[in-house]
Amino acid sequence: MNSRNTILKKLRATQTPFTDVAPIEQRRNMVPLAETTPDALTQRFIAEAEKIGCRVYAAEDAAAAFERVFALLNGDKQISAWDDAFLPMPEFSETLKTAGIEITASDNGQVRLGITGIDAGLASTGSLIFSSGHGKYRTVSLLPTVYVAIMTTNQIVADFETWVALQKERGLDQFRQSSNTVIISGPSKTADIAQELILGAHGPKEVHIILLP
Amino acid sequence: MEIQSNNFVSLSAIAIRNSEMQKAVSKGTRNGYDKRLAAMFAYGEEHGEAMRQQAAEAKRRALRQLPELLEMAEANMQANGIHVLWALDADEANRQVMDIIKRHEVKRVAKGKSMATEEIGLNHVLETNGIDVVETDLGEYIIQLNHEPPSHIVAPVIHKTKEEIRDIFIEKLNMPPTDDAAEMVAFARKKLRDIFLSADLGVSGGNFIIAETGTLCLVENEANGRMCTTMPRVHVAVVGIEKMVENFEDYATLTQVLPRSSTGQHMTVYTSMINGPKRPGDADGPEHVYVILLDNGRSDIYATKYAEALACIRCGACQNACPVYRSTGGHAYGWVYGGPIGAVLTPLFVGLDKAKPLPQASSLCGSCKQVCPVDIDLPRMLLDLRHDTIQQGLGDTLWNLGIKSWAWGNSSPRLFEMGGMAARLGQGVIGQNLPAPLGEWTKFRDFPSFAPKSFRQLWRERQKAQAQS
Repeated sequence: MNSRNTILKKLRATQTPFTDVAPIEQRRNMVPLAETTPDALTQRFIAEAEKIGCRVYAAEDAAAAFERVFALLNGDKQISAWDDAFLPMPEFSETLKTAGIEITASDNGQVRLGITGIDAGLASTGSLIFSSGHGKYRTVSLLPTVYVAIMTTNQIVADFETWVALQKERGLDQFRQSSNTVIISGPSKTADIAQELILGAHGPKEVHIILLP
Repeated sequence: MEIQSNNFVSLSAIAIRNSEMQKAVSKGTRNGYDKRLAAMFAYGEEHGEAMRQQAAEAKRRALRQLPELLEMAEANMQANGIHVLWALDADEANRQVMDIIKRHEVKRVAKGKSMATEEIGLNHVLETNGIDVVETDLGEYIIQLNHEPPSHIVAPVIHKTKEEIRDIFIEKLNMPPTDDAAEMVAFARKKLRDIFLSADLGVSGGNFIIAETGTLCLVENEANGRMCTTMPRVHVAVVGIEKMVENFEDYATLTQVLPRSSTGQHMTVYTSMINGPKRPGDADGPEHVYVILLDNGRSDIYATKYAEALACIRCGACQNACPVYRSTGGHAYGWVYGGPIGAVLTPLFVGLDKAKPLPQASSLCGSCKQVCPVDIDLPRMLLDLRHDTIQQGLGDTLWNLGIKSWAWGNSSPRLFEMGGMAARLGQGVIGQNLPAPLGEWTKFRDFPSFAPKSFRQLWRERQKAQAQS
């Protein structure tokens, strides 16, 4: 008998444990949110994101967002970014190209800054959540030392539980189609050396969020 | 890893005299303890407690239907493009990893933090087979350089001070001398970045597997986990069979309770949900993803009164809370898992005869149960293991004799009284330090003085006095 069947048979041969645990009636969400309106959720998202070390910029339009991107670029001529279709900015790559900036893969060791869009922002914890896919490169939010997420306020949902419910509504097949979905909550960090909090362990040291209306 | 758990007493005696380790462990555990309190009860005690119970029930509901969830998870993972393997024990799991390594002509392995691979001793097997394997969690990297096992479930190098870590980096890697932790991290980042970019295979553990979607879930802060599961061509996850979660909603609870209990974060920096290898058209991500479902004794535990131990989500809160762990650190426990959960898991995994002292390494203060995010009754299991120790004839002969004499002495009023008289007389002669072998007990404490007269004596005198008056 192979190991699979041996294991399953052993588990089934015994009396089932925890038969007294009641079936779930209603779950509580991890963070009880008082905020319900979109504006209040946006404010909560900004506050929570800043609490975990993100820098959030509210940009009133695409021009202001571009201005912020150029300021963060600080003279760099190369960046890595998601494809235009997944960024909430019109003609993103064209605008950068005109300014003499090349969009390239992030694993060449030269790129300091990576830009992505997101699928959703979580107000309860200030987290960013997105799946991978064609044009939504995983390395862009991972390899550069400075990571910039560009998003719109209508992408903000209350919390992870709400996001999960939305996935179920859409059908879990869509979630499963992406090889990877990640929730990012602030810059990469470690406290392994004597509890001292150091940012930029292996991933980005800085996380900037540009928030469009 | 050689099992040293029967040497707990001497190992802890050494640990207690190591002042550097005392400083480091005490700082680390207290820090973890305080942060957990703040995060778990950020929205009030009632809410935090309710979430804890919700998490506890989610794990127990999953364990109740473990075989069904394993089958469901397997089918869903396969549908997602993940190769699923089953390993009955450590040898089989290690063999499976080696087979994958040969199949994909792997030369270098980047390893993310994983207790399951510590349990099976994967690094040792890979090194013996000439494979270059590098731990990439900063703490794990440091102790790998120093040839040590981790001493804490989530903070593997909690037992070392900054100065000791500095010296390891200088000695092993020629780091330019610095006392700045940020510079040490930057130095290690550079070294490990080269590993991520050149490794052919990444190894990870798994915090949860969502059965209904076939999703492997990981939490981490450094991004080394994302690196190991993104950059190399092949990703292998070694995951205990008890990590099943029934559905997405339960996962949402558990993945938020875990960091709150562990590091006091509301979310870890990276919470990854892995649904398989890269899809057609994806530019990055591994080409092959394997999940090895590891039994290694878990199905045996499942059939016992210790099944509750399988609910553990490896947060380390019980270690931070335990007065014994705080004094001894993790290495004294002599195997992979230290602290209260280690004192339960180690005898169950390696055999009670190889870990006799561990169930005794507790004052049964109850702190571990109180902080456990899934409400595991660790004190109850420690007591049951003590009971098993005697039942299996593993108790200390002298202790057994002592207890038997005690029982005999209490079996009749006459014997009881004579014993008391003898003890009072004896104490008058020898004082408050008992002779060997009982002297072990009074080495660090005084034997309490007996009252000059026993209750029975007083009672008799009183009766007599009353009769006379």
